[in-house]
Amino acid sequence: MLFGRNQKKPITLPEKKVEEWVYTTCGYCSTGCAIEVGVDSEGRGITARGVADADVNRGKLCIKGIFEYELFNTPGRGTAPLMRERRFDDFKEASWDDALDKTAAEFKRIQEKYGPDSVAIVSTGQLITEEFYTLGKLARGCIGTNNYDGNTTLCMASAVSGYKRSFGSDGPPGCYDDFSHTDCLIAFGSNLPEQHPVIYWRMREAREKRNFPLIVVDPRVTMLAQFADIHLAITPGTDVVLLNALAHVILAEGLEDRAYIETSTSGFAEFEALVAQYDPVTAAKICGIDEDTIRNVARLYAKANQAMSIWTMGINQSTHGSDGVVGINSLNLITGNIGKPGGTSLSITGQCNAMGTREWSSCSGLPGYRVLENPEHRQEVADFWGIDPEFFPKQRGMAQTDIFPAIETGQIKALWLVATNPMTSMPNTARIRKTLERLEFMVVQDAYADVESNEYAHVYLPAGLWAEKEGVMTNTERRVNLIKNVCPPPGEAKADLWIFNQLAKRFDNGKLINFPESASDVFDEMRELSKGRFLDISGMSHEKIEQSRGLQWPMGETAEEDSARLYSDGKFNHADGKAKLIPLPYIENNECPDDDYPFWLNSGRVVEHFHTRTRTGKVGNQNKFSPTPYMEMNPDAARELGIEHMSYARLTSRRGDAVVLVQLTQRVPYNMVFVPFHFHECVNRVSLGLLDPHSRQPAFKQSAVRIESVEQQAAAAVTNRAARSF
Amino acid sequence: MFKVRKDEPKYAFIPDVETPEKNRYGKAIKLVDESDPRAGQSLNINGDESVGDNPNRYKQHGFHFTADNCIGCHACEAACSEKNDLPAHISFRSVGYVEGGSYPAYKRMNISMACNHCDDPVCLKGCPTRAYTKYAEYGAVLQDPDTCFGCGYCTWVCPYNAPQLDPIKGQVSKCNMCVDRLEVGLKPACSSACLGGALEFGLIETIPENREQAKTTIPGFPDTSITHPNIRFQQVKSLPREMTRPDTMPIKYQRDEQGEGEYKTKVREQRRPRRWSLRKLLTSHENAHIAFTLCAQTVIGAFLLLLLAPMMGASSIANIHSDGTLLPLLGSLFILISVGMFKLNMHLGKPHRFYRGFNNLKHSPVSREIAGVSAFFAGFAGYCLFSLFDAGWATVLANMAAALALLGGLLGSYYMYKLYRIPARPYWNHWQTGTSFAGTSLSLGALVIGLVSVMVQGFTASATLIQLLALIALAGVLLEAVGLICHARDLKQKGGEGEASHLEQSFDYGNSYWLRNTLLLLNSIILGAIAVAGIELISASILLLSMLTASIIGRALFYVLVIPTTLPGAFFWRNKGFQEHARESGLAEMEQSGVLPRADYHDLHLARAIKEVKEDLGMGSSKSK
Repeated sequence: MLFGRNQKKPITLPEKKVEEWVYTTCGYCSTGCAIEVGVDSEGRGITARGVADADVNRGKLCIKGIFEYELFNTPGRGTAPLMRERRFDDFKEASWDDALDKTAAEFKRIQEKYGPDSVAIVSTGQLITEEFYTLGKLARGCIGTNNYDGNTTLCMASAVSGYKRSFGSDGPPGCYDDFSHTDCLIAFGSNLPEQHPVIYWRMREAREKRNFPLIVVDPRVTMLAQFADIHLAITPGTDVVLLNALAHVILAEGLEDRAYIETSTSGFAEFEALVAQYDPVTAAKICGIDEDTIRNVARLYAKANQAMSIWTMGINQSTHGSDGVVGINSLNLITGNIGKPGGTSLSITGQCNAMGTREWSSCSGLPGYRVLENPEHRQEVADFWGIDPEFFPKQRGMAQTDIFPAIETGQIKALWLVATNPMTSMPNTARIRKTLERLEFMVVQDAYADVESNEYAHVYLPAGLWAEKEGVMTNTERRVNLIKNVCPPPGEAKADLWIFNQLAKRFDNGKLINFPESASDVFDEMRELSKGRFLDISGMSHEKIEQSRGLQWPMGETAEEDSARLYSDGKFNHADGKAKLIPLPYIENNECPDDDYPFWLNSGRVVEHFHTRTRTGKVGNQNKFSPTPYMEMNPDAARELGIEHMSYARLTSRRGDAVVLVQLTQRVPYNMVFVPFHFHECVNRVSLGLLDPHSRQPAFKQSAVRIESVEQQAAAAVTNRAARSF
Repeated sequence: MFKVRKDEPKYAFIPDVETPEKNRYGKAIKLVDESDPRAGQSLNINGDESVGDNPNRYKQHGFHFTADNCIGCHACEAACSEKNDLPAHISFRSVGYVEGGSYPAYKRMNISMACNHCDDPVCLKGCPTRAYTKYAEYGAVLQDPDTCFGCGYCTWVCPYNAPQLDPIKGQVSKCNMCVDRLEVGLKPACSSACLGGALEFGLIETIPENREQAKTTIPGFPDTSITHPNIRFQQVKSLPREMTRPDTMPIKYQRDEQGEGEYKTKVREQRRPRRWSLRKLLTSHENAHIAFTLCAQTVIGAFLLLLLAPMMGASSIANIHSDGTLLPLLGSLFILISVGMFKLNMHLGKPHRFYRGFNNLKHSPVSREIAGVSAFFAGFAGYCLFSLFDAGWATVLANMAAALALLGGLLGSYYMYKLYRIPARPYWNHWQTGTSFAGTSLSLGALVIGLVSVMVQGFTASATLIQLLALIALAGVLLEAVGLICHARDLKQKGGEGEASHLEQSFDYGNSYWLRNTLLLLNSIILGAIAVAGIELISASILLLSMLTASIIGRALFYVLVIPTTLPGAFFWRNKGFQEHARESGLAEMEQSGVLPRADYHDLHLARAIKEVKEDLGMGSSKSK
């Protein structure tokens, strides 16, 4: 001691008595950080740290990962199956047998009465890959509905669609290591510091060691935009115009990689003809970026030895989402920036296992990137599972965003939601409520009984979350990583894998198909099915994955190493082995601001929350940073409307209205507001969500609203409070 | 010892680099030599008696914050709260921000701040219980929650909002520099968790790798001359001329174009709607202080008048000692001071540990105030007791007790004033605090004597006394009024948080403020009239009501208006406006909102209190022996 007292006092610091560290992978976003959960002598998770030798996060974690172990003790968890006859009755606790019998019986009754596709299944990107695979087996092989999709339609469908259109297959070609090699980075609608803080850290560390130009395309001045060398404050929904103009400049000035275009792409002539129409002068008027800047960025990007693009929802959640992805891919194709260190077209994925569902859940096809439209694929999978291939539909059914309108109009009568919450996540809440009311039968399977969609359920199945289960997940850079079990789910809640297996037993085909009980046995099946496929994981096992802190596919049976990048040989998955350069005519179809609704409505994520807040809203040390929704609004616009900082305002659109707390900031332009999407009964009461024609992903980020000041502030506070029921 | 992993990442280790001999304030960075008896001792963390092998164990450490880089991702706050097991409503480290410019030339600068382990820790000096220690090891300023009795004075004096008063536990806790990690050479949890390349930690006055600047301040950071904080900044990117805060504090930061371009604290707006805000005013967290200061000042004032005025030849006051008014008066005063002291004690987080209040007479004005007022109370109680006896020995003892009360009263009053002279609280840090307190002693002291006298003797019999008392009270009121006028003038002139307080005083509480000012004028007129023309029932009633109202509103304003020089908050977290809103709207009823439903929880948990007292007395298992 120096001063304060003469006698030294012993120091007491909180002590975490960790008996064992259990290896897992984070269950929030797709960065794929490896987490060690500290478990005490009673088997409880009491602390967490980033795994030091995991290449993805190198010991770091973001706020969500740091507190993820607290989820084991969060309130609102489902601890027993619940059932009720009508949705306005009270739920009563039920046995698993009763709940599953009822579910199977209702599915069968409805399928018999209205046809096999009248039962819809909407899943998620949050489960473990082995569970996705099992759910696919159950949905495609036993229940036999073709209306089975994931909520990944809300986040990554455009990336999937764009990758398929350009490269002939899904699968992000790059990896985080590309940051260490690139000479130029463009981030399109991707706010790494808020959405993927650990990827941001990787990028920043690389940039501190070896500086490279960072260009950020975002209509909002995000932290990343602020740190960019060039910030392109684009007009919402016009990315395709910018991309066409960039390509225009590159081709016009002869900056393209001719050799690469010739050997590895097709469709150049049509592409060139189209981008010829998008000279910077014309484009500037549409996308709001001046012609000099467009030329500067195009030159910078094309002249870099290796340049990479990343994007997230700013591209995907748009009516031109799939086109935007194709445009980015084309930009990288014409500059020869695919599959080389520092040169890539990397979608920064949303959910922890959006990749797993794309690869293995059979949502839009069959497992292992197989498609229903291919008879060989149907045969392979049917043989492997031991069923008649004729049981499979011959064409993909509805996407998630088409399933809801089909419920609305009566084609679909039963819905099974697995770890997804459309009551908060889907655009136009009023319409979703009306839709869910029409169901004859609805099952909600979720870790939380207070998930808002449960309001309309007849049966609720309590599930385990994250490390209450075991298995693998695939991250943004195709890294398959392992979650080991830390503790069992609470009460009667069960791992989703168990639930799927038990339900399968109640269908005829469930007796034919093998449903292994342990995740590693399921993994073995997937490994078999992956042999020789693009996403080959036959060289992996749970043990090898843990040892390597994750392995990137493809990794064939005999491979010594996993694969950091795809398409490094310049060969693509279209029939001709080439990537397609696809012309992208821009069609202005957004709900643009007008006299009646003069503001752009933009939505997005905040770092402390995930998805619809069913988890993060319960963890005080996260939730406190935004315990209630808010709207970023430009102070100049607010002044004219008499709206004050920290007061409630009313948002009105052609769909409905919402009351929201106003935060005045120059981060947004005069004619735009931004509202985080995590909160129930808020931004999605007013959002439109026009669907992308290719991916069926809603354009959450472009619609028009009107804003009014609210005189009765106290009543507005009550309304807002009422929607925060947990 | 904290366990270091075999593969602990390099970024988590504190670099072992050369430091200058002295820091920029002239203080040696090496706090003790290895030969010093204070060196080589165990920190005794959680009963571990080993000594850490950090090569720079006796050098002052500190944070280095690159404000240009912070992304506001909360990883530092989360890592800290996770390590220290903090509930949602408490946080040792907080990220706030300032922003400026206009779209798209908009700049937001995040500020992550915890304890700065200052060279001159005002928390340590202020704490009456000696819960704080500045260690020779790392220069860490550590606070022991087990010693703390929850008065919250450290939270008043700290310019950085580092000590955190937990109303539920009734005690303060704060950043402990993660000394367990430092002992094995690791940076604190927050710094190791940083994802933006912003929060570094190391030997003070050294610049981290890949950084180029180590300055002492950035816009929004309070005056470093108060405590000489051990934090350095890098902030080289240009910022807009004006930076505003997202919280409801009416403050902004403006570049001084005439000066060296440093940012000055300014008031955000000049006008607001004028309100009463009576509910906020009268139900504040500081009600106990209103009651205590008013009661103590009144009683001390009355007692001094009773004792000293006769010596100055005020025969009408001397008569009180003999005309039968004395005992009722002493009784009334005794009740008043007891109520005041009871309220003050019960406002502590741990009222049963009141006796720890004397522990820091060496440094803490609070300790000295408590000692003075306690001495006064003891002397005064003795005086009351011995006044009951009509005997020579009783008179001697009464005089001795009176002398003690006199000394205690004067010292207690002085330190009661002194403890509010806090540089981090500009609204209080003005001589007006003294004139207000002294004025109260005179005016309310005289009032209470007059009131009792009238009740015992009637108006006619006490006419001369009343006229004298009116003059004394008038002096008190005028003293207070002069102080207030100068205070308002100086607040406006000096700017910063003081001026912001003045803005709130003039508008948010404007009607209440002007009511008090008007009442002071009214009091002066009535008192003047009484001094000249005597008193009757109506004027007496009006005066009583008016003086009490003016005093209570005045004192409530004193507490509610103070705006500390703390750092900017965020839109929700550390935003006083949002906290109030969350309480009003019911959002605070959700534990995970991070806002407690009530600002204060001073319920005494008897069982816990008894257990703790037993521990203190060494009758139970105790960590704080």
